[in-house]
Amino acid sequence: MLKPGKGIPAASLRLGGALEHWTERHLRYLMLAPTMLILLALTIFPSLYMFYAAVHKISPNPDLPWQFVGPGNFARLLTDAQFHAALRNTAVFTIVSVSVEFVLGLGLALLLDRFIRRLTFLKTVLMIPMMLPPIAVAITWKIIYEPQFGVLNEIMFRLGLPLQAWAGDVNLAMFSIIVADVWQWTPFIFLLMLAGLASLPVEPYEAAALDGASSWRQFWDLTLPFLKPVIAIALLLRVMDALRLFDLVFILTGGGPADRTKVLSLYIYQVAYRFADPGYAAAISLFVLFVTIVLSTWFMKRMRLAD
Amino acid sequence: MVRKLFLILAAAASALAINGAAWADFTVLVPSSSEGDGLRAAADDYSKMKGTKVEIVQAPYANVFEQGANAGATKSGVFDIILMDDPWIPFFAENGHLEDLTPYFKKAGLEGPDTDFLSKSLAICRNPYNTGPYVCLPYVGNAQMFFYDAAKYKEAGVDAPKTWDDVLKASQALTKDGGGRYFGYVFRGGQGNPVVADFMPIFWSYGADMFNADRTKVTIDTPEGAAAMKTFMALRDVSPKGIESYNANEVGTALAAGTAASSINWPNWVATFEDPSQSKMVGKISYSPIPAGTKAGSSEIGHWTMGIMSASKNKQEAFDFMLWATSPEQIKISAERGNPPVRTSVFTDPELTKQEKFRHYPVLMEAIQASTPRPRHPKWPEIENAFGIELSKVVAGTITPEEALKNSQAAVEEITGLK
Repeated sequence: MLKPGKGIPAASLRLGGALEHWTERHLRYLMLAPTMLILLALTIFPSLYMFYAAVHKISPNPDLPWQFVGPGNFARLLTDAQFHAALRNTAVFTIVSVSVEFVLGLGLALLLDRFIRRLTFLKTVLMIPMMLPPIAVAITWKIIYEPQFGVLNEIMFRLGLPLQAWAGDVNLAMFSIIVADVWQWTPFIFLLMLAGLASLPVEPYEAAALDGASSWRQFWDLTLPFLKPVIAIALLLRVMDALRLFDLVFILTGGGPADRTKVLSLYIYQVAYRFADPGYAAAISLFVLFVTIVLSTWFMKRMRLAD
Repeated sequence: MVRKLFLILAAAASALAINGAAWADFTVLVPSSSEGDGLRAAADDYSKMKGTKVEIVQAPYANVFEQGANAGATKSGVFDIILMDDPWIPFFAENGHLEDLTPYFKKAGLEGPDTDFLSKSLAICRNPYNTGPYVCLPYVGNAQMFFYDAAKYKEAGVDAPKTWDDVLKASQALTKDGGGRYFGYVFRGGQGNPVVADFMPIFWSYGADMFNADRTKVTIDTPEGAAAMKTFMALRDVSPKGIESYNANEVGTALAAGTAASSINWPNWVATFEDPSQSKMVGKISYSPIPAGTKAGSSEIGHWTMGIMSASKNKQEAFDFMLWATSPEQIKISAERGNPPVRTSVFTDPELTKQEKFRHYPVLMEAIQASTPRPRHPKWPEIENAFGIELSKVVAGTITPEEALKNSQAAVEEITGLK
């Protein structure tokens, strides 16, 4: 506390004391203020702005005012064939890719945990795809799938099998994207499962073994229930990520052929930047946000993660 | 200590990056391709000569449009000049993003661009097309040409393809003999811009067009459109598997590697075909204008043009640079750097035409003069996307040609409101 002395007026001392007192009382808010300001600027304001944009028709001409359309942009979602195609493709991609990644990731983790625990080198190698930038992965797979000069068709040719168009084939395009995604993101599930398996208690397994439980029963009745929280987190993160798929589709197919691989993120990008219609793009983005929140909440309740 | 030094360096680098544009006398947005590289080199020369600092911002093709549109919509003035693909001109001009160049020409004591520019190159720089004021100046003279392996075509009984029937005759024979490893024709079948770009010349060569003359009616689903679609489908049947995802790179590579005999393509591929380090076909590819259908063939024009952004704070400096960069001397230097010219004097310059790498110039000049612009509409990106989806579907075989025409007609009517 400041004390009156030579050269310090009493009024200044009173002001200084009050300031010190106020600072002490509100220190926690002051400490939080920078974070809150950054959050406000980078998350809250853009989110609110997106809501505002979603109910307006925004012309690319800056001299024309924004036109309030109420729920008009959301109503467009009901009749927009390209949006429906993107929604369907996103659902197919998310369900198939995350399911395959989960089965493979869990399988690999069980294999490595049980039989080849010491091979850390192998674990590191398995994680490489996940560490690569998505754009590099997409370009690599584009070269692999190239119908004329790609390595995959070269192998098919040498084996005497019919050559395929892969990402260019209307029936194989989505499959090709899923394969590339599975290659990149299975290691993520694998890593989480491996960490989960490493933290399992030993005693229940010893008791189960004494009771004569088979490996399959141990896996079904002990491993899976113990891993449930890890599985839930892994699936939740992957589903949220799969709903945002962009890079692979942008590079490999551009949404084609025949709109078979157009996903929601790509469509939002096209609407916002190619068609210069940010109001409608905001409405689609809000729809995706809504679906993600509903799915996540349902999923967490189902897996009882909320507890 | 090291950490502190690193932090100071990082802060300094960020400040430099942020303020880079502000230090320049004017800033130019260009694509990260040969066209943008050419203008970058010209800007360096200009800086040295005039002592003016020109900042060049390079971005991938699609991002140039997006960044330009964002800068225009927000009136940020971050770019003074934009190097535009010509189909973007109506969007930028009709949304008020481009400056009318008329007063700048007047101030320079000029009526407008000189008559050495090709007339078709100038026509696209006016908005509305060929009648309105100049909103940009042409810089790179792109127009599609027909590329073919003359020896292979001769083997197939066609000396020089003049019509699409000639192309089909040769392509069918070559693909049949190719055993699934060699094809008579190859095209950009990728959804969106690629497939539309390679369909439009065929569409036009059968007398079809997307709109009627005064742009009051959509005219895709017509007998002329059906005739063009029939030829397009026949060409698809002689093209490689996977054509549905082909873009310019795949098409160019197929020709350079000698796995396909012919295609429509852009002139910037000539340099690749004539480069022994990139091509097995050096000296073997012939160039011709687009073949005829029931009407004369017409290339799609794809010029790169320079316009001044309305929100620019350095408009006079930008105009002075544009005038300099499009002068005959600079267009010749640009041609030597690999970008097709837009001036008659450069196309016919003996110093250039005597060189093997410019042997396509007479054909390219003819192609530009016989070219057609993509339908001039401010919603062209959306139209192209919708048309490109239907063309992609028909190339993939998920709908019939009739359905493709009918769906395209409906989609373009919906986008433009012309019902």
